[in-house]
Amino acid sequence: MQVGIGTENDLLLKQKKKNLKRKRIDTWLLLLPTLAIFIFFFLLPLFFLFITSFKTFDPSSGIGNEWTLQNYIKFMSDPFYLGVVWRTVKIALITTLITIFISYPVAFQISKSRGRARNYFTLLVLSPLLISMVIRCYGWVILLSNNGVVNNTLLSLGWIDEPLTLLYTELSVVIGMVHVLFPYMVLSIMGSLEKIDPSVIRASQNLGASSFRTFFSIMLPLTLPGVFAGSVMVFSLSVSSFVTPAILGGPQVKVMSYLTYEQVAVMLNWPYGGAIGFLLILIASITIIAYSKILARSEKGVAIQ
Amino acid sequence: MSYLSLENVVKTFNKTEVVKKLSLEIHKGELVSFLGPSGCGKTTTLNMIAGFLEVDGGKIEVDGKPVHLLPPNKREMGMVFQNYALFPHMTVYENVAYGLKLRKVAKSEIKIRVQEALEMVRLSGYEKRYPKELSGGQQQRVSLARALVIKPKVLLLDEPLSNLDAKLRQEMREEIVDIQKKVGITTIFVTHDQEEALAISDRIAVMYEGRIEQVDTPAAIYNYPKTDFVSQFIGEVNHIQGKVLEAYSDKRCKMHFFGNEQIVAIQSVKDSEVHFFIRPEKVQISLGKSNESKEAFLSKVERKMFLGAKTRYILRANDQHLVADISNTVLNPNQIQEGNNVYTFWNPEDLLPSRMVR
Amino acid sequence: MKKKLPKLLFNSVCLLVYTFLLAPIVVVLLSSLTTTEYIVFPPKGLTLRWYTELVDHPEFMQSFTLSILVAFGTAFIATAIGTLASLAVVRREFRGKTAIVQLVGSPLLIPSVVFGVALLQFYSWIGLAASPLALVLGHIILTVPFVMRLVVASLVGFDRSIEQAAMNLGAGSWKVFFQITLPIIKSGVIAGAIFAFITSFDDLTVALFIVSTDVVTLPVRIYTYMQYQYDPIITSVSSIMILFTVALMLVIERVLGVGKVFSSKN
Repeated sequence: MQVGIGTENDLLLKQKKKNLKRKRIDTWLLLLPTLAIFIFFFLLPLFFLFITSFKTFDPSSGIGNEWTLQNYIKFMSDPFYLGVVWRTVKIALITTLITIFISYPVAFQISKSRGRARNYFTLLVLSPLLISMVIRCYGWVILLSNNGVVNNTLLSLGWIDEPLTLLYTELSVVIGMVHVLFPYMVLSIMGSLEKIDPSVIRASQNLGASSFRTFFSIMLPLTLPGVFAGSVMVFSLSVSSFVTPAILGGPQVKVMSYLTYEQVAVMLNWPYGGAIGFLLILIASITIIAYSKILARSEKGVAIQ
Repeated sequence: MSYLSLENVVKTFNKTEVVKKLSLEIHKGELVSFLGPSGCGKTTTLNMIAGFLEVDGGKIEVDGKPVHLLPPNKREMGMVFQNYALFPHMTVYENVAYGLKLRKVAKSEIKIRVQEALEMVRLSGYEKRYPKELSGGQQQRVSLARALVIKPKVLLLDEPLSNLDAKLRQEMREEIVDIQKKVGITTIFVTHDQEEALAISDRIAVMYEGRIEQVDTPAAIYNYPKTDFVSQFIGEVNHIQGKVLEAYSDKRCKMHFFGNEQIVAIQSVKDSEVHFFIRPEKVQISLGKSNESKEAFLSKVERKMFLGAKTRYILRANDQHLVADISNTVLNPNQIQEGNNVYTFWNPEDLLPSRMVR
Repeated sequence: MKKKLPKLLFNSVCLLVYTFLLAPIVVVLLSSLTTTEYIVFPPKGLTLRWYTELVDHPEFMQSFTLSILVAFGTAFIATAIGTLASLAVVRREFRGKTAIVQLVGSPLLIPSVVFGVALLQFYSWIGLAASPLALVLGHIILTVPFVMRLVVASLVGFDRSIEQAAMNLGAGSWKVFFQITLPIIKSGVIAGAIFAFITSFDDLTVALFIVSTDVVTLPVRIYTYMQYQYDPIITSVSSIMILFTVALMLVIERVLGVGKVFSSKN
């Protein structure tokens, strides 16, 4: 009898162990393909590039054998490169500000509309995301070039005597960026607009506040988290974006991503290109970290309200 | 000869035993309820029977064969879930047919059996609907048909009525019992609703803190609760405390409570404190002293509440409170006013001695 | 009266923004119809000449085919492995989960230029030449984060008892996955696949580093072409791409409904 119970319990234990082991194995099997590709084709390449950024430049092979901090020091101490950093950040900041201003009314309008109209507005706002960035930027080239639509119109109206230089300027890069990143901001603001309880607005109106006042004292503060989230997204995407500055700015408006590309693809200076790349990652990450700190604080604020 | 048997079943979550060496025998065709408050282990036990949770000790047998090591898809048990768990992307027909398709039943036979099952739950004509187009009660019926159509060895119902409104709940529970008796299937019904359990079960297993406190017929559970928990969980009770005046040799004592003396069938020693329970509907009152109430004591009506078929009187005697529920056909509530003194009495056998050690 | 003016102002601002949004796309579409040898807007005359002239530029067709191939491959693989990984992340407890979630989400934070450079260096070290496979591997990294976001979102609200019901009726784990789980999270998975397809099809930055003379995706082809030429050929190619995307969206709309695709995004 004792023996019988013993073997039965053993059987149970064995089965349990087997099940646990099988579950653990298939968890890792589920993760394996993704993990393997990410380790081999993402982590390792970035790691090697990081190492490369501490190597000297060798004109024949690109990467020298000596270890050095010179790449980083060179970048940080040269006014020209610091100017590029400033331009990158400046363009991103201006882009973010403009995006906030033009996204807010659109987000407001969409969140107020219902049913079919809402679907169409949403699609309209999101459609730029679906169309190739290269083509969209090319559209701006056609619009902004010296004999482009904008200049031709202004000339024929007699407002200007000779074409303005619009293309390959910081202005054209900002216009292109705003166009590309606008949908992210709209989505983000819409998200927070939809979270507002409509009764709060009605309450405010009942208390006699004008719609103007309702907007500034109720809606705006309540949507600030959405504006923040969208701003960080737009800022970090525009700091790291390459296609827009490459097409609408080119070598005339160098930003960090273009500089990275140029160092590697044109100068074949891999270590220096790598160093610029990692500084770019640093700037983008600082934004994100600062953002999550601010968000944590502002969410607390909302909770207290 | 039991059909479904649990033997010393144990379940541990994070080192706490939530089911403690639970044993139970269920006969073929029987409807047994697992009744208990939330966290008592009733759903955990059901999930172990269904195979969604592994047992950590003991065994489960169906028809003499151990099943606790089988995966859930090999156990041939039909389960009805609290939230119905219908497949949202399949029609009613496809939902009910799913289990038969898995068993590779011929298409023509599937059709017949699905029709029969839907007829049984009175949902013929709903075949092409999707679950979201059905009401909660209809969804639960589909769920029942889906579980029964595969002719499972055991039917498991996990709080199947708790998402329905009160009226529908009563209708559905009668329907479930009808179907269960017609099919003759061994059934476990998990619920936290005592009224539900009392109304439909052949036997009730009252569970508390991972243990079965008592398994018995509804009447026995109600009238002869074996533990304090059972007596308090099922129905309402008055707590009564009394002092033993004299202990007799024939397992009887002369007790003192409410300033009154009474002989009770209980074994105790002189001068000890004894606790009793009595259900409110077993307490009787009358305006005058009669033959029935010769051991009656006087108490004061503090409050009177009209509850439809009965009236609840809150009584006070010798600084102790007592609740009495009296049928309005037995005693016209207009005869008694708050502040009146009434004679209070009960049959000595309705007094349930407490096992609780205080 | 008092209320109408701000409303008018508000609506005209919105109209202006929508014009701004659509302007470059409309400009590209319309200027592809010009009869002139150079790009001009509004087009002078109407002709389909620049579309027929594409026959003389088979390299665009080749690039288009390659881009489609790469985008399909990427969408398929990224969706498959991303869905599996999402299952593990949502439903299993394992050590290092947060680290893995962060790793898989990080391509959204790393500038693609840097990733492109790193990948180019790595490929040249391991000797992987420019090929559809090389492109697909790079694009998988870019797209898995999207796929996982969408699939995780559809798995989080999933009622597990539906799967238990299927198991209870006799379905083994494979059948439960393919007959129950997958159909229910379908819209999230498809949305993920669409985003993966579009991201891969649109990618210039990473592809720019990986392409060689005979393996050139369409965005790279257009980008390099427009650096040297300014003729309307480019507008006709671009218009075809735009129309292709619109057609794709219409098909998806028919099958799934726009609302569904975008609502799972939020």
